[in-house]
Amino acid sequence: MRKILATILVFFGLSTLAQTQVRISGWGGPDVAIVTGLLREVVQPRLDREGIRVIYEPIEGDYTQWLFNALSAGTAPDLFYVDIFWSESLFATGRVEPLDRYFSRQEIAEFLPNLVQAFTYGGRLYGIPKDFNTLALQFNRDLFDEAGVRYPNQQDTWETFEAKLRQVQTRLGDVAGLCVVADVARFAPFAFATGWRPFDDRGHTVLDGNFRRAFEWYTGLTRRGAARFAQDLGEGWTGGCFGGEKAATAIEGAWIAGFLRDRAPNLRYGTTFLPLDPVTQRRGNFIFTVSWSMNAQSRNKEAAARVLRALTSPEAQQWVLERGLAIPSRRALAQNPYFQRAGREPELNRIVFQGSVAPGGVVYPFKFRGFGGDWMRPINEALQAVMTGQKTVDQALRDAQVALDRLTGRR
Amino acid sequence: MRLNARTLEGLYALLLLLPFLFTLGVFFLYAFLRAVYFSFTDYDLFSPPQFVGLANYLRLLEDPLFLRALWHTLAYSLVVTVLQTFFALLLATALNQPLRGITAFRTVYYLPSVVSTAAASLLLLWLFQRTGLVNQGLSLLLAYLPHLLALALIFALVQGGQVLWERRRGAPTGFWDPALALISLPLALLGVYALGFLGLVGPREVRVEIPWLPTTATFLGIPYPLWAIILMNTYTTIPTFMVLFLAGLKGIPKTLYEAAALDGATPWTMFRRITVPLLRPVLFLVITLGLIGTLQLFDQVLFVGGSGGAPLEATVTLAYYVYGNVFPSGATPRVGLASAAALFLAGLTLLVVLLQRRLGVSERGWG
Repeated sequence: MRKILATILVFFGLSTLAQTQVRISGWGGPDVAIVTGLLREVVQPRLDREGIRVIYEPIEGDYTQWLFNALSAGTAPDLFYVDIFWSESLFATGRVEPLDRYFSRQEIAEFLPNLVQAFTYGGRLYGIPKDFNTLALQFNRDLFDEAGVRYPNQQDTWETFEAKLRQVQTRLGDVAGLCVVADVARFAPFAFATGWRPFDDRGHTVLDGNFRRAFEWYTGLTRRGAARFAQDLGEGWTGGCFGGEKAATAIEGAWIAGFLRDRAPNLRYGTTFLPLDPVTQRRGNFIFTVSWSMNAQSRNKEAAARVLRALTSPEAQQWVLERGLAIPSRRALAQNPYFQRAGREPELNRIVFQGSVAPGGVVYPFKFRGFGGDWMRPINEALQAVMTGQKTVDQALRDAQVALDRLTGRR
Repeated sequence: MRLNARTLEGLYALLLLLPFLFTLGVFFLYAFLRAVYFSFTDYDLFSPPQFVGLANYLRLLEDPLFLRALWHTLAYSLVVTVLQTFFALLLATALNQPLRGITAFRTVYYLPSVVSTAAASLLLLWLFQRTGLVNQGLSLLLAYLPHLLALALIFALVQGGQVLWERRRGAPTGFWDPALALISLPLALLGVYALGFLGLVGPREVRVEIPWLPTTATFLGIPYPLWAIILMNTYTTIPTFMVLFLAGLKGIPKTLYEAAALDGATPWTMFRRITVPLLRPVLFLVITLGLIGTLQLFDQVLFVGGSGGAPLEATVTLAYYVYGNVFPSGATPRVGLASAAALFLAGLTLLVVLLQRRLGVSERGWG
């Protein structure tokens, strides 16, 4: 009997040893439930056949700090999330493995090209986009009905949109048309619509006439009675105002769906595209995206590549999409029946998906070379100073330009 | 070989100290030496450090954000240390009185120091929002200013009248006589009510909407958001220092006060000539701890800047500057520059404490 037991133990012991372990990490919070479910139901069953075991280590707290530290100390996992916002500064360190040799051109071509482009640095691909988001306009149908104002739609320009907001705010009194934030992440799409580019050919940021036009419109919304400053409503983001019915519209991505599901499950909202610049008749947008990237110091690169392939496979993305958790990054999913379903969330996800392609207008990834937050700060501060009445537009833009010149080396 | 008792005792002491010496060596000495080394290099956590000499230190002096952080740190440190020392001493003196239920008061006054910085910062954000309690309080105060002025005027008239009446009767009464105020105050309140009833005094429409947090506006050269942090930090640190002062006060012999009282000393003279000089060691400790603590202000800046929307330029301190350079949002770590700034902060802390020893209060006496 003992012999049989020992044989079984040896057999299982050896089989465990034969398995290759691949460590993966991402941020904590709600993502933990998503990735755990994805691994259990889709990824691990497929990898079991290949003898690969995925060890998932989610990180609560500041993920970026943890990852930079872990990569620097040589303790980082085999695969990890990379946010587009800090991707370039991370890729520049050489600690992320280029993926071109693990994925064929055909395989890569199955992902949305602008997402692939967002994770391409120096001509090499450093991450496979797992999902993405763009900005869309959410509106509270009940509040618009109550005010007797037509819903925002995709033909709206800044002017017609503002007129609707003003009407809602005037007629409902204690409800803002929109609550605005002093943040590049919400303002810049309007500047992109004018034709303004964050960096010129020499890598400098120039706050030109186009930028000024968008800046004046956006910061003037509160003064003209179409919006209120989010912090004056006790909120830090437009979704917070929207969920609390303090504002009739919000400018957010698909992440607002989960928040509204918890905070305001009965809120009847619709989604449309951001309004068009009345001069250029175009709109702008940001792509917020996250990739799975590989540790250049990984000892299991081939196995890690297989895990990466499974994590971003059509089945995995379909699983995520059907649960309304994120917008997948594969091109083929554009035709997915999920997007055609009736309902608040499929509509929101459809508009957010389309925001990254032609209907989205002028779309830039949410990254600013290697400058990150340092680049956004002067513009955020200019927005805030004008919105709170501390500086004139001239003064605020002059100060911001000086700070950006110092940063980007333009004298 | 036999060790003598003294050597043996020394060895035992070393053995017991070993764990602490080890942690001190690794987490302080080694870390400090690494920081010194990195401060002379260009290092991003990934590429090998490149020696750049004094370039990081020179770059610090050219960086407007660093200079602002330096000014904020010094101003914050000075203001908070003065305020918290003064109020802690005042409170300790008050709570050292032999009154009924004084222990309950001591507990209540100690409570703010138990609040975590995160919770206190959240309170701060609520208080100082544009629609927060501070602005609402100010609005209310300004709206009812006519009532308050009328109240003060009627009180002064009634009290003055009573004082004159008493003096005419030969009683040496002062203006602030509480017995007379007991009559004057209700009369003044009635008077204000009557004026309001007749429509002679009415509340005004005032809405104070000062943006305390999302602003770079300054008062006495210190930005509003930093003033908000100053108020909050003073409020939460006073209790800790109050306890230290209370312990010090308990150690002063009562006989000194009794002798002074017999000699006809006023409470103020006793406070100045007995309490403060005998509290010098505690005062030195409180000021030193206060200076070191305030020079390292960090977490409130993170909360008020993050959730409160205060611009970095209005709240940045040296400790935050160091953190912001090691982990810049979306950019490559600037460890060399951060190390230089960290060493600058360490040097500054040492200098300030030495200066206060030399020029301010020290353990043995005034400098």
